[in-house]
Amino acid sequence: MSVDLSSTPRTLLVCERSSFQEEKNRVSTQVEQLRFNYKVSLLLPECNSLPSQLESVLDSFTSFYLIKQLPVYELLDKDFLETAVYQGNVYGLSYKTRIDEDNCVALLPNGRLCLSLDKDSFEVLGFEGKPSKFNHRTKSRFVISVDLTDRRMAPGGRGYQRLLTGLKSRLQLQTDFLLSHHPGGGASLQSLLSRCDWSEHRPQMSQRGLTELSCPAVHSCDPHSLLEWLGAVDADVTCENSSSSFLSTLACPEPKTTLSRALSVSVCGLLLPQDIQRLIDQLRCYLQQPRLESWVSLTVHGFADSPVSWGENEHGFLKGGENFYTLLMFHNHTYRLHLATGAHDACPP
Amino acid sequence: MKHLDQEEESGVYQRAVLKNASPYHYMKVRLVLEDETSRLSAVELKQFILTGLKTLHGEVGAAINFDLLKYDEDTLTALLRVYSSGLVKLWSSLTLLGSYQNQDCAFRVHQVSPFLLALTGNSRDLQLD
Repeated sequence: MSVDLSSTPRTLLVCERSSFQEEKNRVSTQVEQLRFNYKVSLLLPECNSLPSQLESVLDSFTSFYLIKQLPVYELLDKDFLETAVYQGNVYGLSYKTRIDEDNCVALLPNGRLCLSLDKDSFEVLGFEGKPSKFNHRTKSRFVISVDLTDRRMAPGGRGYQRLLTGLKSRLQLQTDFLLSHHPGGGASLQSLLSRCDWSEHRPQMSQRGLTELSCPAVHSCDPHSLLEWLGAVDADVTCENSSSSFLSTLACPEPKTTLSRALSVSVCGLLLPQDIQRLIDQLRCYLQQPRLESWVSLTVHGFADSPVSWGENEHGFLKGGENFYTLLMFHNHTYRLHLATGAHDACPP
Repeated sequence: MKHLDQEEESGVYQRAVLKNASPYHYMKVRLVLEDETSRLSAVELKQFILTGLKTLHGEVGAAINFDLLKYDEDTLTALLRVYSSGLVKLWSSLTLLGSYQNQDCAFRVHQVSPFLLALTGNSRDLQLD
């Protein structure tokens, strides 16, 4: 049997164009649906230093907590459910667990708890779940998704008791856990934090000034070339190569211009969609001021090992686990949005 | 063309889904050598990978175009770009490269993606401790 060596696993790139003033635009829904964001990077052309209004938005990104060795049944604690989960907007994700080999846990802002477990753990736990979409033939991974706000999952209910006993006495799943809450921060999470070993973390910001940067025509450039160029800027890869160079032939897409300077800013951590939405609003205000270049680009990377990507769609890793979007905003309120996923993902919304 | 420009200016909602359309794949790899003090230049590294392609896939393999986008000599870490049709051949030959100038070596593949942007935001690099 011969195998086709030239094929690669499926990838998806959704390209949208519209205007923020157009009724059909869904940018805020799309931003809200990618829940677990790891990194935000901005590219500001013809900009020397970070404008103060943008800096204050980036500085005010919500902090998050790292809980060491959290027994997962603690997430079902009655006090925690009442003070945090039922109020909504709690974001939780297991840390340093790999979705292609470990057990992963996510707590979604709508009160849904997702467990992505290997076959052994799933059978030990003894709770209802479904085989993962991405290896349904071998059935080596299972996904449990329960709505904690549902009546049957209320403390004392049958489903609740079954999951609690499973997690407490049978599986005894423990994991390092990232937790954040909008907008309350720590106060509503205290009932959980007080029983654990935790540390508070601020999203880490870094800046890099760029000079003499070749830049394609961002309005009309084809999506893959545009994303490649943005990636090259972000990864600090030079685009000044000749087509006959031995090492690299990567070049800036034509037609191109040269930016005398640009600023690349990035923030890393567990970042909330609400904060990103505020940043987008602020960037739109920034674009309304007169400038040499009338666009900015914003890229948001999701966690590669999250059990869900957009919405509640199952997410897997395969060879990269990428799930990110790039929003290119222009002075006249129009935008270009690119949403990308790898093989183990549903189509972005 | 004029019609298209007008549409773009007016901001009419357009959506397109591209499936498997990425022309390239990108790899972040690190070379691990038995003697950790030895260093390679970028040209030597590319030549070494080309040798591997030729050994495993013959002349057809040696003809695969790939680019060494970035290389850090201190950590021996490189970013590679290859046409999607050549990814499997390049990856397999990296896996089977086991010896550099009579010393054992191995390529560690850290990340593979059809988007260069994805290689700049790997959440597995998040260090909080």
